[in-house]
This record gives sequence, structure tokens and C-alpha cells, in this order.
Amino acid sequence: MKRLFAAIISLSVLAPAAKAQNDAAAAPQKAPIALTGGTIHTGTGQVIENGTLIFDKGKITYVGAATTSFPAGTETVSVVGKHVYPGLISPANQLGLVEIASVRATNDQQEVGDYTPNVRALIAYNTDSEVIPTVRGNGVLITQATPVGGVVSGMSSVMQLDGWNWEDAVLKKDDGVHLNWIGYFRRSFDGTGVSTVKNDKKDEQLHELDQLFNDAIAYAQSTPATVNMKLEAMKGLFDGSKNLYVSADYGKEIIEAVKFAKGKGVKKIVIIGGEESLLAADFLKENQVPVIVNTTHRLPNRTDDDTDLPYKLPYLLQKKGVLVGLGYIGLHWRTRNLPFLAGTVGGHGLTPEQALQLVTLNNARILGIDSYVGTLEKGKHATIVVSAGDLLDMRTAKVEKAYIQGKSVNLDDKQKKLYRTFSEKYGR
Amino acid sequence: MKKSVLLWLFFSLIIGRGIAQTPTFPVNGVQDERPDRVAFTNATIFTDATTSLEGATLLIRGGVIEAVGKTVKIPAGTRVIDLKGKRIYPSFVESYAAYGMPEVKREARGFRGTPQMDSKKKGAFGWNQAVLPEVRAAEVFTGNPQEAAELRKLGFGSAVTHSQDGIVRGTSALVALLDAKDQEALIKGPVSAHYSYSKGSSTQDYPNSLMGSVALLRQTYYDAQWYKSVKGKTETNLSLEAFNQNQSLPQVVEVTDKLGALRTAKMGKEFGVTYILRGSGDEYQRLPEIKATGLSFILPVNFPVAPDVEDPFDAGIVSLTEMKHWEMAPSNAALLAKEGIPFSLTTATLRNKSEFLANVRKAIAAGLEESAALAALTSVPARQMKIEDLVGTLKPGLLANFLITSDNLFSESGTWYENWVKGVRYVLTDMNQTDLRGSYDLAVGGRQGLKLNITGKSDKPEYQIVVSDSVKVTPKVSRQGDLLTLSFNLDPKKTKGENRIAAYIDGKNIKGDGYDAAGKELTFLASYKEGARAARPDSARKAPLAIGKIIFPFTGYGTEEKPKQETILIKNATVWTNEKEGILTNTDVLLQNGKIAKVGKGLSAPSGAKSIDGTGKHLTNGIFDEHSHIALYSVNEGTQSVTSEVRMGDVVNSEDVNIYRQLAGGVTTSQLLHGSANCIGGQSAVVKFKWGETPDNMLIPEAQFIKFALGENVKQANWGDAARVRFPQTRMGVEQVMMDAFLRAKAYEKTWKEYNAASNKAGLAAPRKDLELEALVEILNKKRFITCHSYVQSEINMLMKVADSLGFTINTFTHILEGYKVADKMKAHGANGSTFSDWWAYKMEVKDAIPYNAAMMSKVGVNTSINSDDAEMARRLNQEAAKTVLYGGVSEEDAWKMVTLNPAKMMHLDGRLGSIKAGKDADVVLWNANPLSVYAKPEKTIIEGTVYFDLEKDKELRQSIASERNRLIQKLLTAKAGGTPTQRPQFQRPRHFHCNTLGGLSEEEGQVRYFGGQFTCDGSCGY
Repeated sequence: MKRLFAAIISLSVLAPAAKAQNDAAAAPQKAPIALTGGTIHTGTGQVIENGTLIFDKGKITYVGAATTSFPAGTETVSVVGKHVYPGLISPANQLGLVEIASVRATNDQQEVGDYTPNVRALIAYNTDSEVIPTVRGNGVLITQATPVGGVVSGMSSVMQLDGWNWEDAVLKKDDGVHLNWIGYFRRSFDGTGVSTVKNDKKDEQLHELDQLFNDAIAYAQSTPATVNMKLEAMKGLFDGSKNLYVSADYGKEIIEAVKFAKGKGVKKIVIIGGEESLLAADFLKENQVPVIVNTTHRLPNRTDDDTDLPYKLPYLLQKKGVLVGLGYIGLHWRTRNLPFLAGTVGGHGLTPEQALQLVTLNNARILGIDSYVGTLEKGKHATIVVSAGDLLDMRTAKVEKAYIQGKSVNLDDKQKKLYRTFSEKYGR
Repeated sequence: MKKSVLLWLFFSLIIGRGIAQTPTFPVNGVQDERPDRVAFTNATIFTDATTSLEGATLLIRGGVIEAVGKTVKIPAGTRVIDLKGKRIYPSFVESYAAYGMPEVKREARGFRGTPQMDSKKKGAFGWNQAVLPEVRAAEVFTGNPQEAAELRKLGFGSAVTHSQDGIVRGTSALVALLDAKDQEALIKGPVSAHYSYSKGSSTQDYPNSLMGSVALLRQTYYDAQWYKSVKGKTETNLSLEAFNQNQSLPQVVEVTDKLGALRTAKMGKEFGVTYILRGSGDEYQRLPEIKATGLSFILPVNFPVAPDVEDPFDAGIVSLTEMKHWEMAPSNAALLAKEGIPFSLTTATLRNKSEFLANVRKAIAAGLEESAALAALTSVPARQMKIEDLVGTLKPGLLANFLITSDNLFSESGTWYENWVKGVRYVLTDMNQTDLRGSYDLAVGGRQGLKLNITGKSDKPEYQIVVSDSVKVTPKVSRQGDLLTLSFNLDPKKTKGENRIAAYIDGKNIKGDGYDAAGKELTFLASYKEGARAARPDSARKAPLAIGKIIFPFTGYGTEEKPKQETILIKNATVWTNEKEGILTNTDVLLQNGKIAKVGKGLSAPSGAKSIDGTGKHLTNGIFDEHSHIALYSVNEGTQSVTSEVRMGDVVNSEDVNIYRQLAGGVTTSQLLHGSANCIGGQSAVVKFKWGETPDNMLIPEAQFIKFALGENVKQANWGDAARVRFPQTRMGVEQVMMDAFLRAKAYEKTWKEYNAASNKAGLAAPRKDLELEALVEILNKKRFITCHSYVQSEINMLMKVADSLGFTINTFTHILEGYKVADKMKAHGANGSTFSDWWAYKMEVKDAIPYNAAMMSKVGVNTSINSDDAEMARRLNQEAAKTVLYGGVSEEDAWKMVTLNPAKMMHLDGRLGSIKAGKDADVVLWNANPLSVYAKPEKTIIEGTVYFDLEKDKELRQSIASERNRLIQKLLTAKAGGTPTQRPQFQRPRHFHCNTLGGLSEEEGQVRYFGGQFTCDGSCGY
């Protein structure tokens, strides 16, 4: 405790206290680095005690038992007693798009119009957001910047949580189009509260959506003289180069949405939210459609539900054979708790290593980035988190080092700076 | 339906000539007084619900009963109607009608439109547009023939009607359901005084919450008392004058659920009023408490429509509560009757009044005695409304309001012939019409050996011609008095075209002539053979249907038996004492009589004690959530800037499943706070989560707290451009509101002190009791303590200075996200800090929030807790406490105190809560692991020695929910197959309130959330 305080104070000598801007982006990896003596949670389910992890030029070159053979010029970093993880991946989030939720001027997550597949979260992603370092500080190193609103909201991109600008930060550009499935119910506000009422316009809206997809299919089959940016954006859905992310929670809607997308020849479909997806689990398995579950830290939807249903939903879906990811959908600053969302499932059905996979390998597979990230394996990006204890348990978690593609990431943030500043006030 | 209404109008026009003329009105023509004495003889007369006279006579004159009995002398000049074989009942009395009242126009109140601070009602009335004691039904009544006819068809002869608008609704009037001049229909006014919790057509902002309505009603009582007593009035207030006048009448309050009934009964005790409650139909769900109120009820018979559960997805939406209520609602009246709770029955709240009789019959089928049903429709409402000298029974001097029926009133096969209202005859079914039911030998043209069977009800007979064993024909028949028109085809398989017959009733036979399909002449002769079989006697009525059990509370996870206090010995656990002993391993704790009896090693179990093995487990105090908004019907009276008069204790919802969910997360005590929409909010309810108990049994009465708020919410910064009217709009104004409120409170206290000190009060009137200022005086006198919603350092500092200048302390700053900036000042002032672990970035005033806040405040010496302000997070407060280990390096022992001992201290309850020490309340949780771990979960949550959550029991409850749901779904499917109308279920997600934002979901700030991408306003404004 005292030691910690001292460490923070010593940091404060180096970094000027409480300045508004974020620190510099990390510099590229210069020499091979070996993390030695730690417990390596590879994300494949494997745990290597007293393991060694070596990476060079941003890529992992060795993961395994302790070794003494290092490439020339290797910087060895002892992580004895510490835990090494793949960088966590946060899907379907507005981090970098929203700064202060209630201040409209700082919100860039929703465009005007019901059908805006062409808008790109990529270019609005603000690498200078003061929220980003606070999320990074808990081990989340990759986020999917995702637009919201309307029926077809736009395109997401997968971003790394470090970089001078969005071009630096991007890991996978325009990875998919986001569709909010047209539900049976809609929310209505009556002056005293929100209730859920029947969506009377469902058929009409479905017809419009159907038309959009039919037009996109036709458009994709030829080379029209005039570019239609909306339809252009949807091309990738039919050749598998883009995911179709469908937000749907209710079992019937999930089935309906997947059948719709399949019927239109969409190759890769992902369900987002999936609060009631258990009712459609067999269907999802048969159709090989994965689900990104929206936060385990929510209430059951129904009074009669098991009180811990949200905690164990990822486990129950996985048990049914569905590929499950986990995210903090729509909640930008709260993404810092992503490891603990997974930890909660660790206490409710899954083993801690399986729980870790929800926010590493599984999310990577679902987003189509598992060839670079999601596990600690030779050849993959050196996107790595080192924690003093179990990263998924707030009781023990303490991220001490993070690397993104081998770059050592500065873990300081605005909040730590304010902490230091006011620690000075109280003379400690 | 419409046709039949017209038919009654037709009858009423013909027969309605018997109406007495209004003596003061001029006659256009010659005087037309007619003989007005009628005697009904040889009838079975039910003079009231329990007394019947066989072969008796009812003698009426004009609109009044002259005599009733077996030996009534009939004067000459009396018209005699022989009712041999028929019955006479008193007409029903509708005690909760809006009949003949002006339509209540509810203006759509735009969400966050421009505030309306003052009443729009012109004249010397009270300040609030929802307080309308001056409205007199007698003065605004105008008859409505169609509605009167509808009610008469249901058996009603009179109605107590009132304007159903507002919280205080004025007085009712007794009216006869006549198609006559209003002067004749209006019998008496005022009859009763009426109240509700709904502001009706009022467009004024205050009140906009249930607790605001309660507070307004409560203050109105005090204002009226003051108005009556004050000498040298400087104002005339016609509302208060009327309110006082109305007090001598029966006082009727409309409630919308069983807890509303309990709340109202409590208010009645406060003001010495024995209310009559217009109930809601779910009283059976809290029967013992309802009975204990000692009040009488006016019960609607509005039963829920069966949800359509054929589709399993849809069925999932329907809650156990809804299904059970569907099953049990018809039993409500029977269950109340069994407990001896007096009630009348009303058509109120029925969407379609024509369902009334069917639903009363359902209530009877569910076990309500017929005599009780009859009383509930006649003598009980008359007694409740103190009009038993006018209506409700058949006695000399009462109005001649009575029904003539063929049979038992409630029998489905019986016929209602006439409903006489104030001596005016209204025909429902012509009783002189021959009953044709029976079987006949039929000859049509040359064809002999046919049969005609007439069955069904006498007023709606069903005809069938039996041609042969295999050929049966249903003729089309219309009847006008004794004339019949028939058309039929005797060989529909072989020939086309119809025989057409014009027939007449000839004694017992039916004769007629007509033409066959070819146009040839035809004779028709049906010779009477035998009568219809007698209707099934009432005694053969089916036994009440089997129904499920009542559970407490009436929701999933409720139990048939409320959990009971036990003596429990927890052995060999790791005990987090929160005392100087710290965390003790291998330790035993004995819980006895609701208290912690002993903490030590090797304790022996007293006889009868339940022993629990705590090996490998952790025992802690129950979590105390300093800031919660669950289990409340409403949260914000966000209208005026100062609403210290409102009490969250008035709106606690003991049936909220979040109570159980939080028990499953180890929470035992919670401060249920008013929202943060205004500077001075309402009084807190501090409760223990005794799942199954009533709101009052959950309260910790000695914890007297109140919510204050600062910053963006109270200045309505995020409420849109319309909300720029209410003072304050800046932090500058907030200080002025606070200061002004307390200066007013000081002056108020002084006035009372002077009055109380006066030796001779003879010439003095007591000052007006002001509940808003009383609460503030309590703060000044350190009897009530503030929990203040706060964010930025400037406002925190300001409020401490305001308090310092007035000589009191701000007890707690809640949220207090910039507490770390002024922790030294907070410590000096003596304030506690109750904060979030890591929330920020949801609005401008939290941009400097840091997760190290709790650790830093605590280190500086401020007693600090971690709270939830959120139904979801509250069940993981152990994890939130653990974050202070992550952010700021707090020790595990101290981290745990942030959700147990520290909140108990700041709530002044550490004398009985917050640590595991002999003598303190036995509120403990047994965890499977270190309680700060993300992997930890409670196995038992115990309050005062009673196990309210048990992991093993929880499994059983889940199973019983599943099996009970399944039973009800099967029953619903059977009902649907049997023709019961159903309705597709709607997803009703219960509302949750927070003070802050759950990331994108921000309730307090009234922003937008992105759910499934739909950008919808979630804008509850300021929780």
C-alpha cells in the first residue's frame, strides 16, 4: 500500500501533474523483449506457469516454458509472480466516439437517418479522448468503434487503444455494417417513464429494409455508372469481407434477423446484445451465428428469470455450442470494467480461462481479427497485458504493463494525474 | 347491442309516462296526474340480501315504497300486478359512478414542456389545481339516458356519482337512474367526499409523483384545520371551506393497488378518518394486513384478460404475477368476505360495463356467497354511503327501486323482467310474453310426425325442428308479442328454398299459415306436448375451482410462508468482524432473537439452533447501500425546488423483485432516496430487505434522512430549452434556494415556539402546520439528516458554508465525485462521503471524477462509503468495494467497511448495524469466497436472524416458479380452447430509477440511450 503510493509519487516526478492532454503515443518496438517468469494465460485455454514470452518487431516469437535462449539484444523483463494476458478486446463500443455523454458537442456516434450504412466510425475515432487511457489501464487494448442509431447505423472499425491518430490506431478498417433489427416492441416514453409497446410499424419498416438489401444485392452484381455510397458500403456483406452485426435481444427477433440476412446472401452474421438469445441457442448453433452478449452486469429482463441469468448467460450459450463474445455495448467509459464482466462469468459457470476467452479469443474470432490478436501465440501481434494479479478480479487486478504490437504503452491517464495532484495537496 | 339499447329506450318512452310531474314546473296543456299506487302480489320478495318473503306483496306509491309484507292491505284504486312464481329484489346501488358527470379532459402534458407553477383555476380557490373539494356532483349532474339504461340493464336503480377528477374530488350525489328531468333524478347531494392519488386533468406541475400526491393530501388536511381555526382571516379559500364542510360525509379514497390501501389506512389513522377504499381487486394478495386496516371497500370486478400463451416466446413475457392474478382475481371478493371485510361491488374500472354481471357470477363461482354478492350490490353500498334510508333494501319509505326476475337473480338461466326505478317501470324482458319453451308435435302442410323443440332462455329461445333422427333443422324465427314469423327448409339436402309461415300463439299451441318454396299454400300446427325441463337448481353449483396459493410478496420468488426468525450457529467461518479484532478465521457466530449473540471459537449450539458449517466460507455483515431507488413507486417530485414534505416511506413497493435480487447479492439494508431533480427533495425511507413483508415492516423508523441535490440536475441543465423557468438555473441560485428555505424554516420554528410558549392561548390561533418547513426545522434541530447529491467542489463547499452559517452539518454528500478535491474541508465540517467506485464521463460535472476518490477521501479522514444508485450495481456492491483496493490501494478490511460499517455510521445506525459484534442486529451474509472477489457469491443472507436468501432454497424457488408457471400456462391454454378471450402479451420491463447514468443509459440526466441502436429518450428527469 505504502509502496504503491510511493510508486505513484515517483511517477509524478517524471510526468507533470494533471495536464489535460493524453501522453504521447508509444514508440515502435526497437529491440526484442522477453517477459520472463510470469504466469502466461495464452487465451487458448492454456496456462503456462513460470513461462517466457518473447516478441520482436511487434510480433510474438516465442511463448512457452522458461528458456535461456533469447535473440541477440533482447531486453528481458522479469514478471515473476505476475500474470500475462492477451490484450482484451471490446466489441461494439463508442469509446473514442463519445467523450461526455450528456454534452452533445462531444458525441459522434449517431448520424441522421434510418439507413446510413455508409457512415464510418473510423474517421470520428478520437485518439485524444481522455477516456481511452482509463480503459487501457485495465487491460483493454482493442476496441470496435461502432456507430449507433437508426436501422442501419453505419460501419465500425477495429481500433487499437494507442496511436497518434486514427490511421495509426486502426487494426481493421470498416470491418462490418451494423443493423438494429426491427423489433416487435419499441420503447415509448409517456412522461412518467419508459414502457415497451408493440411496434405497429414493423411491417412497413421491414419492407424498407428488404428493399435496401435487394437494391444492395443488385448493385453489388454490376458496376453502376453512379456510385451509391450506401449500397457501396454494403457490398462486402455479400462476399464475406464485412460482417453484418445485428442488434437483437428477443429470441424471435434473433431468428427472424438471421433468416433475413441469410436469405439475402449475407455471409457473416453476428448477433449483438442477445439478452434473450438462449431461447434461440440451438438455431444459432445450427446456423453458426455467434453472439456478442451485452454486459453480464445487468438485471434479468423478467421478474421470474433466474436472478443470476445475466451472469451465466455466456456460459449457458457456450454450453449449447454457440460461439460467445462479451462486450459493454453502448457504454463508453464503462468498458474499463470489461475484464470484470468476464470475471463474473468465471464465478458463474465458466472456468476463469474460459471467461478470459470471452473477451480475447472469442471476440477476436467474431470480429475476424483472430489471425493477429486474441491469443498469445507465435506469429500474432504482441498485444499483451501484464497484471500483478488475476486480471478478471478487481480484488487482485493491477495492470502494470501493456504492449500493443510490441509498443510499450504509457499507462498513465487523466484520473491518475488528478490523483497525484491532489495527493500533493494533502501532502502525501 | 345498439339495437337492444334502442329497444329499451322505446319501452321506457312508452312506459315512462308514469313519472311524477315536477310540481314547480308549469304544464303545457292540462294537468295529467294519474293513479300512482301499484301493488305487486304473490311474489317472493327479498327485502334485503338475507330476508325473503314468500307470497308477499310490495305496495308502492309514486316513487316510494308504501308497504311490503305478506299481509299488505291493498287500497282501492291500486293497480295490481300478479307476480306469482316471480321474485322481487332491491335494485342495485352503484356506489362509485361517474354517471352524469362532466367528461374529464386530460390535457396531454408534454414531457418537459414549459413548467406550470400555479393553478389555472380561476376564482377564490386553493393553490393546487388537483385539489377540488369545492366540486359538488349535485351541481354538475346532468342525466344521460344511454348510460342510465346501461346501468339499469345491469340491475342498478341508483348511483352515487362524483366527478372523478383530481386528488381531492369534492362531493358525490345520489341519483336515480331515470330518464327524467334532472330535478327528479337527483335524490340527494352531497353524499360522500372523494379522494384519489391521481391529479386528473390538472395541468399544474405539482405534484408529479405518488409521494407528492400523498404529501399534498396530507398538507391539505393541515391547511384546512388551520383555515377553520384561524382568526382574522386575510384570505378566503373556498376550497378549504368546502374541504372542511365535506369532512362529515363518508370519506372515499380511490387506490390503485393493495399497498395503496395500506398507505391510505395509515393516513386515515394520522387524521382520525375512517376511509372507505375504492379498491383495485388485488386486495387478496395482502389479506391479513388489509383486514387489519378495519376499513370497508368498494371493489371493482375488473378481472384481467387471459394472456395468450400459445407461443412459448410470448408466454415467456408473461410474469407469474400476471398469470396468478388472472387465476385468482375472481376470488378476491370471496377471500375478503371470508375474512369478514365489508365491501360493496362496483362497475368502476370495467372497460366494458356489460361484463359486470358475468364477472359477479365469476366471483360467485369462485366462492362468494350469493347473499354476500347481493348485499355487496344493495345494502352494503347504501350503508357505506349512509343512504340506507333511501335505497338498498325494500322497506316502507325507501325509493321504489326494485328488480323483478323469474328466478334467482344470479342464475344464468333466469330472466330479469323489469327494473323499477323511483316507481318508474323499465322493462328488460316482457314478462307477459308467453314462455314458449317446450316440445311440440308438428305438422307442416301434409307432413305429420315432425317435432318442434323450443329451448334456451325464455327471452332468447332456441328453436329446432326434428324432421327425422338424422335431420334437424333450425328455423329462422322472429317474434312480436304473440305473433311469430318462421322460415325453414325441411329437406335442406334435397331441395332449395324456404317455407315461410306467419304464426300466432293459440293457447299452448302455435298455429299458422304460409307458403312453401314453390309458392303453394301451407298450414303449420305445433301442438304442445310437454314443458321444458327445469333449469338446473342453484344448489348444484360447482364447487369453487382449484386455484394456486397466495405467495408473499405476490411475485416470482415469493413464498407461501413468510420466512421466520431462527436461532442459527454458523461454525468455523472466516468472520469479517469490522471491529478491532479484524478478520477472524475458524470462528463461530451465534444468532439468537434477531441479534448476534456470541462471536468466538468452539461455541456450542443452544437447543433448537440450526447449525451451519462455515468451513471455507466467509461471514460478513449484510451490505448497506447508502443510495438506492429500488422498491419505490416513484422517485422524484421534481416540480418545485423545495419538496421536503414528500416522504419516500409513502411509496415503498415491497413487491419489487429487486429486493430479492439484492438479497442474492448480499444487501440487507438500503436507503431509498428521493431523486435529484430539485434542490431539496424528499424524506428517505431506510429499509431492511425483509422480502415478503409489507413496506411498514421493512422500515427502520429511527433513520430520519432527507435528500438534497446540487448541480446540473437541480438547475435543469440537461432538460432541454423549455426547462428554463424554474428557479434556480445556476449554481448561484442553488445557494439562494437553500438559504431561503432554512431562513423560512427558522422563522416558522420561531412562530411555533412563541405560540407554544404563550400562557394564554385563548385569543390565539395555532400557526399553520407546514410539512415542508417542519422537515427543515428537524434538520436545524439535528433530528433529520441530509444526504446531498453533489459533484463539483464549488457546490460542495457552498453547501457546507450554508450549513455552517445556520449551525448544522451536512451529514452526507452522496456521489461527491469531486470529494477528493475538498476532502479536508469535508472532514473539518464533519460530512460523510458516499460515492461510486468508478463512474465518470456521463455528464459535464463528472469530467473530473476519479476512481481514487473513495480511497483519497477515506485517507484524508472522511467516513466514506461506496453506493450503487442502481438496481443492478447494488447486487454487486462487494465488487464495487473491491475496486477501492484496485484504485488507491485500500486494505481489504477497509474496502469491505465501505459497504457495511461506514454506511451504517453515516446513517447513525452503527449502534445496531455494521459490524459482527454481540448485541448488534443479526444481519449477516455467508459467502462462498472472499467477499471482495469477483468470483464470490452469497450462500445465505440473513436479516435479524431470518434467512431471506438461501442458495439452496433459491434453487427450489426457481423450480416452483417453473412448475407454477407451467401449471398456469396449461390452464390458460385450456381456457383459450374453451373460448375464453385472450390477449397477446406485451413486454413490460419494470422501470428502474437511478440518480446517474449507467453509461449510455442515463436516467437521471434524461438523456438518450442507445438500446438496440434505437435512439430513444429514456428521460426520466432527475433520479
